[in-house]
Amino acid sequence: MMQMLAAGGLTPLTDDLRVSDANNPRGYFEWEKIKQLPNEPDCIAEAEGKVVKVVSALLRNVPSGYEYRVIFMTRSLEEVVASQRQMIKQLGASGPSMQDAVMVAAFETHLRQVAAWLEAHPEIAVCWVEHGSLLKATHVEVTRVQEFLKFPFDVEEMARQVDPSLYRQRIPIQAAAAAV
Amino acid sequence: MTERLAKKVLLIGWDAADWKIINPLLDQGPMPALEHLINHGVIGNLATLRPILSPMLWNSIATGKRPDKHGILGFIEPDPDNGTIRPVTSTSRKVKALWNICTQSGLRSHVLGWFAGRPAEPINGVSISPLYAEPVAPLDQPWPLTPSSIHPAALGETLAPFRIHPGQLTPAEILPFIPRAAEVDQEKDQHLASLARILAENCSLHNAATWILENEPWDFMAVYYNGIDHFCHAFMNFHPPRLNHVPEKEFELYKDVVNGAYKFHDMMLERLLQLAGPEATVLLLSDHGFHSDHLRPRYMPKAGPGPAVGHRPIGVICMAGAHLRQNERIYGANLLDITPTVLTLLGLPVAEDMDGRVLVEAFEEPPKIEKIPSWEDVPGECGMHPANLRMDPVSAQAMLQQFVALGYIQAPNEDQAKAVENCVREAQYNLAQVYLDSHRPGDALPILEQLTKEKPEEIRFTLHLGQCYLDLSRLTEARATLETLVQRGGQPWADWLLGLVHLEENSLDKALSHLSRAAEAEPRLPDLHLRLGNTYLRMRRLEEAEQAFQKALAIDSDSPEAHLGLAQLRLRRRQNREASEEALAAVGLRHFLPMGHYCLGVALGRMNHLERAELAFRTALSMAPGLLNAHRWLVAIYRRTGADLVTIANHQRAIAELQERRVRATGAA
Repeated sequence: MMQMLAAGGLTPLTDDLRVSDANNPRGYFEWEKIKQLPNEPDCIAEAEGKVVKVVSALLRNVPSGYEYRVIFMTRSLEEVVASQRQMIKQLGASGPSMQDAVMVAAFETHLRQVAAWLEAHPEIAVCWVEHGSLLKATHVEVTRVQEFLKFPFDVEEMARQVDPSLYRQRIPIQAAAAAV
Repeated sequence: MTERLAKKVLLIGWDAADWKIINPLLDQGPMPALEHLINHGVIGNLATLRPILSPMLWNSIATGKRPDKHGILGFIEPDPDNGTIRPVTSTSRKVKALWNICTQSGLRSHVLGWFAGRPAEPINGVSISPLYAEPVAPLDQPWPLTPSSIHPAALGETLAPFRIHPGQLTPAEILPFIPRAAEVDQEKDQHLASLARILAENCSLHNAATWILENEPWDFMAVYYNGIDHFCHAFMNFHPPRLNHVPEKEFELYKDVVNGAYKFHDMMLERLLQLAGPEATVLLLSDHGFHSDHLRPRYMPKAGPGPAVGHRPIGVICMAGAHLRQNERIYGANLLDITPTVLTLLGLPVAEDMDGRVLVEAFEEPPKIEKIPSWEDVPGECGMHPANLRMDPVSAQAMLQQFVALGYIQAPNEDQAKAVENCVREAQYNLAQVYLDSHRPGDALPILEQLTKEKPEEIRFTLHLGQCYLDLSRLTEARATLETLVQRGGQPWADWLLGLVHLEENSLDKALSHLSRAAEAEPRLPDLHLRLGNTYLRMRRLEEAEQAFQKALAIDSDSPEAHLGLAQLRLRRRQNREASEEALAAVGLRHFLPMGHYCLGVALGRMNHLERAELAFRTALSMAPGLLNAHRWLVAIYRRTGADLVTIANHQRAIAELQERRVRATGAA
């Protein structure tokens, strides 16, 4: 999504510290300083007029006084957990020893909490984009994002950024059906 | 809905209250309110659960479920919001408590001061968390209510002024506890400050309770006081008789505090009873007792839940009200029985997924007990927090750890990370102990293996792993685990467990050697004498066995195992009446004691009390279906009483299966 927004004409706030790797060969578009959000909420000022990637766990720390437009990317949590497991392995980091099912349940609750928080903050506009839909119906989703942001995107250029070959953590059909 | 037996139910929690302190005070007269309750109701011991940690226990009391089901696994939990730790919260409790069931059933309930009470739950009634009473600033500074400490929040304005700050207390309140308070050097000695804080907090909650009783309608109300427990932790060392290591001067200053705490609680009880009125059914109980005699520990271990070492595994219960017996004793009550009993009093169904039972023996007539599979499946508003607020804190912590590993969020600083890691580890350790306590060693094993792998230097983890192997009859692994500890020396608990392993292996001489060595190192531990008694019993050295059991009882007269040992011994001597008395005493102290019920059955059967014997054997089998001889006794009893053939055939089939299993096990060995 960051790639698409950048291609569409928005300015991503990134420090380029995290370089592309096998997990994400087209780069991460991350801004290290956003991790300070709980302790230094004012750092968000640097993102004004730009687009910044924020993990859901930090979203509740954004300070008031700004007009936010949140594009909330969702994905099958089984896929998310599998993908993260793989990334942690490749990073050589040590993750929790919980079973995937427990992690999925934890993420589900977490997402419910974030969604409830967003609902309680109507001043923050949200556009929910499902990862699978973005791959399958790219033009529809991109147009929706364009309408949400009210920004004159180059929709064709944005759509060209979608690379289905990067979609590697597919879950078996039965699991996908269950997740639905 | 079945018949409602109680118009109102008032549940009063006195953390750590103990008959060993109460009884002498009742004899002397300064607890008139409790005496009144006792004379008009039933009393008994209330067996606790292990580990003996109050947040876990009070949530078991309020849910009728063990901690693995209710999810409160200690004093603290990881705080997913900031990567640190926090006191356990109501959002972590996974199941409905009494006040939720009441809300769901259209009854109005109030709950005050309960462990894991924050954020206050949105029940049909008033919910006040312990943080309501906690002073957060010095007296001369503003003292706002902690957010989410009261539901409905609108009541905060009314209830906030009822809080007492420790700094507001005057000598008139302090001197009854410490008559020579003026002699305390408060620069060096913090006892006075502790006393003021405990007193103020309990007064604050009590004030709120009395306001609610005077102003709010109610069907069920639960009020929890932590005072006795906190007073005991701070002052039990000074309680008479003076312990050798306690200086004379400090003893003289503080020797009256514990008794004073009980008298103070009795005064609060008197007011509650007045306001609740004669139509209310009252349950007063404690989650555990507190050692007040020679069993008081001299040192509290720093690691883990050290202060719990002073907890005695027997609490108190007193119930009075309509349809309950008067001036009687009940036996075998467990704190898991409180929720089913309260539900029955309120005419509500008991759930089959609850781990306790209705205390039917407390009722004048056996109550009609309606059952449902689970209250958790009953839809409707129950006053729990919405799903988006509830989350298992350990899973939440794992999710944060995952985000850190991925570089999405900042890692907590080293101290925070260590605090969270320790917190999660303690919760896991407590969970393993819950499994061991409820005879599920298979569930405890992977946890203990992991803990021991992570922290091989933690002796308590290794000891419990050894116990777990023993419970699983994996004796080789149990022996190997415990021998490493014994080789380190100075580990009487390891010697004790190793003695048990040898008992299981029928190496009685070796068992005796380890148990004797443990007894020499730690002679105050009652279990050691018990095991010695059991070993002598098996070696048919009955005189020595009796001496050992009597020694265990001299140390702790409330030891169910000691009474069980004596029951077995009396059975060997064919002293059936004495055996039945000892067995009754044993199951009175701990209902979940299958061998106790079995011995009772044997004694009664031999005395030809077949109906009561049958009940005892059935109870034993409900707890331990593999008790082969209990099935045999039942077959014999049913043949004599002419029971239906199907019942007899069922037990015969069980006997055949158990025998076959034994043959297979012998073959496999």
